[in-house]
Amino acid sequence: MNEQITTELSRRAFLGKTAGGLGSMALSYLLRQDALTKPSLPHFAPKAKRVIYMFMSGGPSQVDTFDPKPLLNRLEGKTMPASIIKNHQFAMIKTKNPIVKGSPWKFQNHGQSGIEISELFPQVSKVADELAVVRSLHTDSFNHDPAVMFLNTGDVRFGRPSLGAWTSYGLGTENANLPAYVVLVSGKNRQPLLDSYWGAGFLPTEYQGTPFRSQGEPVLYLRNPKGISSKTRRDQIDLIRSLNEKHQENVNDPEITARIKQYELAYRMQTSVPELAALTHESQAVRTAYGAELGKVSFANNCLLARRLCERGVRFVQLFEKGWDSHGNIAKEHTARSRAVDQPIAALISDLKQRGLLDETLIVWGGEFGRTPMAQGNGVGYGRDHHPHGFTMWMAGGGAKPGIVHGATDEFGYFAIKDKVHVHDLNATILHLLGLDHEHLIYKHAGRDFRLTDVHGYVVRELLG
Amino acid sequence: MKMTARMLVLLLVATALSAADKIDLAKSQKHWAFQPVKKPALPMVKNKVWVKNSIDQFILARLEKAGLQPAPPAALSDLQRRIHYALRGLLPVPNSKIGDLKSEIKIQMATPQYGERWARHWLDVVRYADSNGLDENAAHANAWRYRDYVVTSFNADKPFDQFIIEQIAGDLLSAKGEAARREQRIATGFLSLGPKVLAEPDKIKMEMDIIDEQIDTLGKALLGLTLGCARCHDHKFDPIPTADYYALAGIFKSTKTMDSLKTIAKWHEHSFATPAHKKLKEKHEALIATQKKAVNAFTAKANQQLLVELKLEKLPTNPEGKYSETNQVELAKLNSTLKRLEADVYVLPSAMGVEDGNATNLPIFVRGNHERPGEIQPRHFPRALSDGKPISDKVSGRLELAQWIANRNNPLTARVMVNRVWRWHFGRGLVGTPDNFGKLGEKPSHPELLDWLAAWFVENGWSVKKLNVLILNSATFQMSSTPNAAALKIDPTNVLMSRAPLRRMEAEPLRDSLLQIGGQLDLKVGGTIWAFENYKLVFNHTSEDATTYNSNRRAIYLPVIRNHVYDLFELFDFPDPGTVNGNRADTTIAPQSLYLMNSPLVLRTCATMAKQLLAEGKLNNTERVEWLYVKVYNRKPTANESKRAVAFVNEFCQEQQASWQALCQALLSSNEFLYLK
Repeated sequence: MNEQITTELSRRAFLGKTAGGLGSMALSYLLRQDALTKPSLPHFAPKAKRVIYMFMSGGPSQVDTFDPKPLLNRLEGKTMPASIIKNHQFAMIKTKNPIVKGSPWKFQNHGQSGIEISELFPQVSKVADELAVVRSLHTDSFNHDPAVMFLNTGDVRFGRPSLGAWTSYGLGTENANLPAYVVLVSGKNRQPLLDSYWGAGFLPTEYQGTPFRSQGEPVLYLRNPKGISSKTRRDQIDLIRSLNEKHQENVNDPEITARIKQYELAYRMQTSVPELAALTHESQAVRTAYGAELGKVSFANNCLLARRLCERGVRFVQLFEKGWDSHGNIAKEHTARSRAVDQPIAALISDLKQRGLLDETLIVWGGEFGRTPMAQGNGVGYGRDHHPHGFTMWMAGGGAKPGIVHGATDEFGYFAIKDKVHVHDLNATILHLLGLDHEHLIYKHAGRDFRLTDVHGYVVRELLG
Repeated sequence: MKMTARMLVLLLVATALSAADKIDLAKSQKHWAFQPVKKPALPMVKNKVWVKNSIDQFILARLEKAGLQPAPPAALSDLQRRIHYALRGLLPVPNSKIGDLKSEIKIQMATPQYGERWARHWLDVVRYADSNGLDENAAHANAWRYRDYVVTSFNADKPFDQFIIEQIAGDLLSAKGEAARREQRIATGFLSLGPKVLAEPDKIKMEMDIIDEQIDTLGKALLGLTLGCARCHDHKFDPIPTADYYALAGIFKSTKTMDSLKTIAKWHEHSFATPAHKKLKEKHEALIATQKKAVNAFTAKANQQLLVELKLEKLPTNPEGKYSETNQVELAKLNSTLKRLEADVYVLPSAMGVEDGNATNLPIFVRGNHERPGEIQPRHFPRALSDGKPISDKVSGRLELAQWIANRNNPLTARVMVNRVWRWHFGRGLVGTPDNFGKLGEKPSHPELLDWLAAWFVENGWSVKKLNVLILNSATFQMSSTPNAAALKIDPTNVLMSRAPLRRMEAEPLRDSLLQIGGQLDLKVGGTIWAFENYKLVFNHTSEDATTYNSNRRAIYLPVIRNHVYDLFELFDFPDPGTVNGNRADTTIAPQSLYLMNSPLVLRTCATMAKQLLAEGKLNNTERVEWLYVKVYNRKPTANESKRAVAFVNEFCQEQQASWQALCQALLSSNEFLYLK
């Protein structure tokens, strides 16, 4: 680590540590300054400048999407071997002898890389050569909330900063008119999404994700009330500024300047956000490619919005698509979910590539865990239960090695067995691609140094392009 | 005796553990926070005139040593604002006389709003919420009783040691009368309020997780210790071996927190149903039964009529549809009465809380895994802080634990609490990590003052009100917040307290002040405004949170929904209600500015203010500006400010109401309003 960075980090740690009130205010102020004057603070040359994280909330089934297991089809209807499931407990499966269930969807090799993908993702299959598929993920938790917290914050408990917050803390923003970390939600409402998933934890709150709403105003209270024009608002903010400058003469505190800046950002967001969120600025052809429809809440709209956010320098965009928790009726539900995401994902990858942005934009796809190779329930209405021991996620662009499959699960798609990648390893790798060393991205809180990966995590070198 | 394989395993595990149990207690006990509190002598100071009470002597001694002088006293109007904020979380009443500060403090402390303000501080510490959070976000429909208990306790200035004992073991205390008994049982809600994985399939894990949450909260909230860290391994930094953790866990295992672990699990509630309540419920149920009978009797009669009318032997399907119109109307009437009665469920009063279960000792669970039990640990208190004697097998040990924590000789309890109070006044504790007094916590900036305060607090009957009076009457509290050049250089972060801190209003005082300025604040004390069925999911996989926040009651009475906190709270650094938090953040982000620019609450407040201003027909514009400044800033404007404001109103737009409204909003959005100088 070079010396300048050491000084920079210790300055941050110092300011953070002394954060009763003034420290953290000063910190926000200085960091914002940093962010504006220096575009980034990576530990080493980054491959990715930003991230689009596609979070498939509820947990997609690995054996039905990116991890083909023909054995399951051969053994369909047979009892799952006890030697594999041992004494495992399941969230919902109650029977001691659950039944093996093959995938109803066919897998095929795609692209030059020959990556096998199921027919649930016909469009993504066409960009298979861009993907770095990790089939050997495993996590620590098998209930939604703790598992999502774990994937996003490195801990199952409340109070830790999310990956996006760490990223914006580490790298700042490239656009002073927008928040550095934006969250977009779509999909069928199943698992509630908690604010802590994109929270700043103990980091200053300015690093938390700002959810843009899909309908109405994209940001709370963005719109001026009736009768207030941009001009009169400007007059009012100028008055606030002069009141604050007067106050500043009395109190002599950097915080005042910081707040003036926040009013300015708010004011600029009033213009920048509606412009950004207006998909009317995109041609019909582009919207059709994504499957985006004006005024609709959809993953497709959010993918297009994500591209617009990236173009404008937003550091971390996290898309949550709800509805993957198929305990029953997986055939219907996974079909619906994959239809909602397949085309927009492929369109986004192609679009970014065409615009020369894919190399510097890391796309991450996956859910909080996978699903059991055994059925939950039976008949056509069967589903699959939560499964933390082996599941698939993939990356594309942003320095991830294209066209590869990394790691493997056993023949049942149950345990990750080859080149296992733990959630901490994944997070370490994502930070690495952003030019951040997960062991040195540290924040001191309550008398202790904290990292996203706690005391764990290895960068998965094989995934680096 | 023959050695069985299991015993051998146990022995091996025990040996391994005692080998691992290498925490050197004697050495670790030397940590400053584990030393007995000794009241230090007051230090010598030069500038004796400045000193108002003993606090000042400690602060000044440090400043003088650093070559600094304290900031001059704050302006009286700023001080009045500060005192009202500190004691009530509200603005001073405009034009109220600023007389003698001492009596002002006394008067404000006697208002019921004092208890609400201080209860909210405590609720941060005990992770208070009206819903469970996590996957099963079930309604804590009776948590408000605990909240009211806390408000009442602060208003009554309940000795803090007693307050602690009641919260841990109120159900086990003798009580003077039924009302006190009820209060004491409500107090144990403290142990029950935590977030729980109510759908955990592994029931032992669920129970151990709940116990872990209780130990973690208890440790951080009352002792400033991260005891939860010792669940899986000996505490890496503090002298808490895993054995001590499971000795404590045994106390909670011997306590009944849950009524049922079956998914979705249900927490225990104390019932306060009196015979009169039960009678009312029975009466209500009898009414329902009578009504049901009436419906049945009528149906039977009408059916009979139908058979006769239609000359049938058997009833047709859906006979009701073939009744005469009169009969149909009559039946509908009877049914709607029944429905209304059934919907109007008579809820017997109850409150979240714990009671004793069977006294049991737990084994160590190796690496926190209950499938790997090790040696049984007799229940006891952490050995680094006690004699480690086992607790009698006849009791759970909860009362003993409470008394041990609230004991005047416990080195942590009083220190932790006086530090919290200091933090709530100055924005930074004497120990910068109020929830962690362990090795990894910060060292105290003024160790002698901390100890002096802790000793003084105990000597003065653990009275929080007296402690507040002491602090507010100190010259330290009453300093101006303006730093001089030397202070900025030598004490840039104000750790030495060379000046008063500049602090942004917290979320609740901000909201309450807006309502207060708009004349809409409802000062009713206590009770609940949230009608939600107990245990019912506030929102689940298929529904949105329908909680609304448009009440004009004080913010402390608004529902706290875990996972989905009220947006104003969220924007202005309300703490995560799932964990202990004695150190709220204090941030400045753009969405806060948008809130002040465009939220309905702010706009409504400004509209009301402008209307009031214009209704005062006799006032000229200069007088209006003065009225406004006094109301919002608690001071008169300078001539320049007045001129600038009048000019703004004249230039802003044609419409008077809109112009004044814009000015009101600018004042409410400005730092002088949002910050306490």
